[in-house]
Amino acid sequence: MASEKELSDFLKNVEKRAFKRTLYAVRDDEAALDIVQDAMIRLAEKYVDRPAAELPLIFQRILSNATMDWFRRQKVRGAIMKNFSDFESAGEDGDFDILETLETQDGSTATESAAENVSRAQILLAIEGQIEQLPTRQREAFLLRYWEELDVAETAAAMGCSEGSVKTHCSRAVHALAKALKAKGIEL
Amino acid sequence: MKNQNIHLSTGGLEALQTRFGLRVASRLSEASRELPHDVTERLKASRELALERARLARRAEAATSVQASGSGGAASLTFGGGTGSNWWLKLASALPIIALIAGFMFIERVHTRQQIAAAAEVDAALLADDVPPTAYSDPGFVEFLKVPRD
Repeated sequence: MASEKELSDFLKNVEKRAFKRTLYAVRDDEAALDIVQDAMIRLAEKYVDRPAAELPLIFQRILSNATMDWFRRQKVRGAIMKNFSDFESAGEDGDFDILETLETQDGSTATESAAENVSRAQILLAIEGQIEQLPTRQREAFLLRYWEELDVAETAAAMGCSEGSVKTHCSRAVHALAKALKAKGIEL
Repeated sequence: MKNQNIHLSTGGLEALQTRFGLRVASRLSEASRELPHDVTERLKASRELALERARLARRAEAATSVQASGSGGAASLTFGGGTGSNWWLKLASALPIIALIAGFMFIERVHTRQQIAAAAEVDAALLADDVPPTAYSDPGFVEFLKVPRD
């Protein structure tokens, strides 16, 4: 069973990322805060007897479900404004090669001047904007896999899908982000 | 560039994707550290609320387990304990209801028998008694006498 300190430390460590992740999905500060609070309370009330090591995966699952519930409620109210299904982004380009971005970042200075012209805050905003633009499942897979640092199996468990789907979502998300950021002259 | 990509193994491509993903994630972490004060305060309040709920859940769970062990002990004292004690406890609690139902059935049966005995007694007295002379002036009784019996 996780001790009170372990639970507190876990929530403290995860709360900001949870808020941002939810914000990318719902695009509403208040809604994101409510969802994160609900997820925290659900975790604390129902899974307090679980070992501390299991908390990250359980919390991510609860947070994903809470976000889905929010969208369902919005849909019922007729207020949903975005497509929540797992469609691909409209402008997907099969010719794009991620290597062009990554290898340029490693070995060339061709894009440095472009990056220098953009302030750090603007770069962060641009990255967040592109993250928001990703299809929901791609964004979820990408953030769980690389930001929450879950492995493929854990991400699949948190998302309720197969490991193959996680790999596909992550790959597409990486390609879409790399392409979009390169188009803006941003290097990481 | 394209040729290099063709020769890149699946593992190599995955490694590149992971590197890119982690770089983006580090920027996102950077952004998440600079949340507005009101948001961080609200998150802190949410966390404290969740921890309070966890404390309540722990207390409730502890109280339930103490109660369960207490009732188990009582059952052990009465029926000798073991896993069958709950079964005996249930049986003991059902006994008064069973006794009540049996009592009602017994009373109902005795009451019916008494009614039958009383009715038989009245019938026997009527049949054994003499017919009063005034009965022969009753047209109904005369008619009754005229009707042939099987």
